[in-house]
Amino acid sequence: MSTVGLFHFPTPLTRICPAPWGLRLWEKLTLLSPGIAVTPVQMAGKKDYPALLSLDENELEEQFVKGHGPGGQATNKTSNCVVLKHIPSGIVVKCHQTRSVDQNRKLARKILQEKVDVFYNGENSPVHKEKREAAKKK
Amino acid sequence: MELWGRMLWALLSGPGRRGSTRGWAFSSWQPQPPLAGLSSAIELVSHWTGVFEKRGIPEARESSEYIVAHVLGAKTFQSLRPALWTQPLTSQQLQCIRELSSRRLQRMPVQYILGEWDFQGLSLRMVPPVFIPRPETEELVEWVLEEVAQRSHAVGSPGSPLILEVGCGSGAISLSLLSQLPQSRVIAVDKREAAISLTHENAQRLRLQDRIWIIHLDMTSGCQLGTLGTNLQVWLIRSRGRPKVWHERSWTHLPWGPMDLIVSNPPYVFHQDMEQLAPEIRSYEDPAALDGGEEGMDIITHILALAPRLLKDSGSIFLEVDPRHPELVSSWLQSRPDLYLNLVAVRRDFCGRPRFLHIRRSGP
Repeated sequence: MSTVGLFHFPTPLTRICPAPWGLRLWEKLTLLSPGIAVTPVQMAGKKDYPALLSLDENELEEQFVKGHGPGGQATNKTSNCVVLKHIPSGIVVKCHQTRSVDQNRKLARKILQEKVDVFYNGENSPVHKEKREAAKKK
Repeated sequence: MELWGRMLWALLSGPGRRGSTRGWAFSSWQPQPPLAGLSSAIELVSHWTGVFEKRGIPEARESSEYIVAHVLGAKTFQSLRPALWTQPLTSQQLQCIRELSSRRLQRMPVQYILGEWDFQGLSLRMVPPVFIPRPETEELVEWVLEEVAQRSHAVGSPGSPLILEVGCGSGAISLSLLSQLPQSRVIAVDKREAAISLTHENAQRLRLQDRIWIIHLDMTSGCQLGTLGTNLQVWLIRSRGRPKVWHERSWTHLPWGPMDLIVSNPPYVFHQDMEQLAPEIRSYEDPAALDGGEEGMDIITHILALAPRLLKDSGSIFLEVDPRHPELVSSWLQSRPDLYLNLVAVRRDFCGRPRFLHIRRSGP
């Protein structure tokens, strides 16, 4: 069984996902004071996506399955699971929804973003608001 | 019967147990018709993981998960509806899983077993021996997209950017660029007919065939470094189903203008490393898609040598390479000032290895 290796990936979010994610840097102060409700930051250009606190890539730790070998052409691995941790809150998301590492990384960030928003905003999070609205419609 | 016995044992003992003993641990259990109605997805995964591990097949669990999920109509086990995890499988499904798993026992790569794989969110057909796109290469595409977005003046006008892909394989890079750059046009080149057909098929599946020209061409044959290829016979497939044979003497007579970008994941494995590749790769993928010669640089240097004549001024080349190449490419470019190419950036892959190069043309 392959072991999971820790790999800190300190690159800015723009390097991984195309705009608009990561264009705003998250103030460190808000992270250290989870008790304070933060006004959600508008995510420009993202269709149908509620306004959520954006993630700072510097506060994320990404893990891929270790034992990837030399990598690139010299390797054929299909283990595309991504484990993403938000360090300040300790929230961890594991994603193996797709067969593409790239897609799993993006999905993991999206899921993590929702969880982190709920963590800090609780009932005020757009995630919960949407669920309540959806429940009302039923 | 042996298989049924094992699975029955696994059912009674719980998933995850490897069947080394075949004790029949039931007393009042009545024998049921074999296979169908007894085994669920979870049990099947457990069973085949055990089989693969016993036979030393790498990624035993992942392989069995992908195979079982595939037979149940999902791309990954995690994305399978939870209700399906414990539902009994039909005998047809069990048979299918058995067939696919037997190929895995022959070390066939999962992507060839399933006949498809995903790249940058696109589903692509996979057929041996055409090279299977690697996860690292998705980052190459991401980088190109970022750079194109920054040069916003080139985006938005029809036919722009105009991209050349050298060694298109299954079409992964070309098609993911086309799908995310709605105005772009791509010329995809490969020396293997199998790759040409597969790229063509994938382009049609994704309805991108109108913006891609796929050319069966060996870039390295008949070309001397630094000079244009002469007497190149170019077989041009312009997909709308009407193949056209195009005889060309030189690159400059092609009807499309100079390129904005050249992108490639060229064969870059060092020749001496070829025999150390895993059986999955050695036995099933085209070695010509991997072997880059003594220092893995042969095709890289060919592309760079041809690039100035193919690129617009300040056009870019994006390459995926071996981690030892950034230095080698840098030295080589310095030895060729006549090309007016500069290595402007090196980017690491998700494992932290220097994997991608951005080279820019500047000058006459």
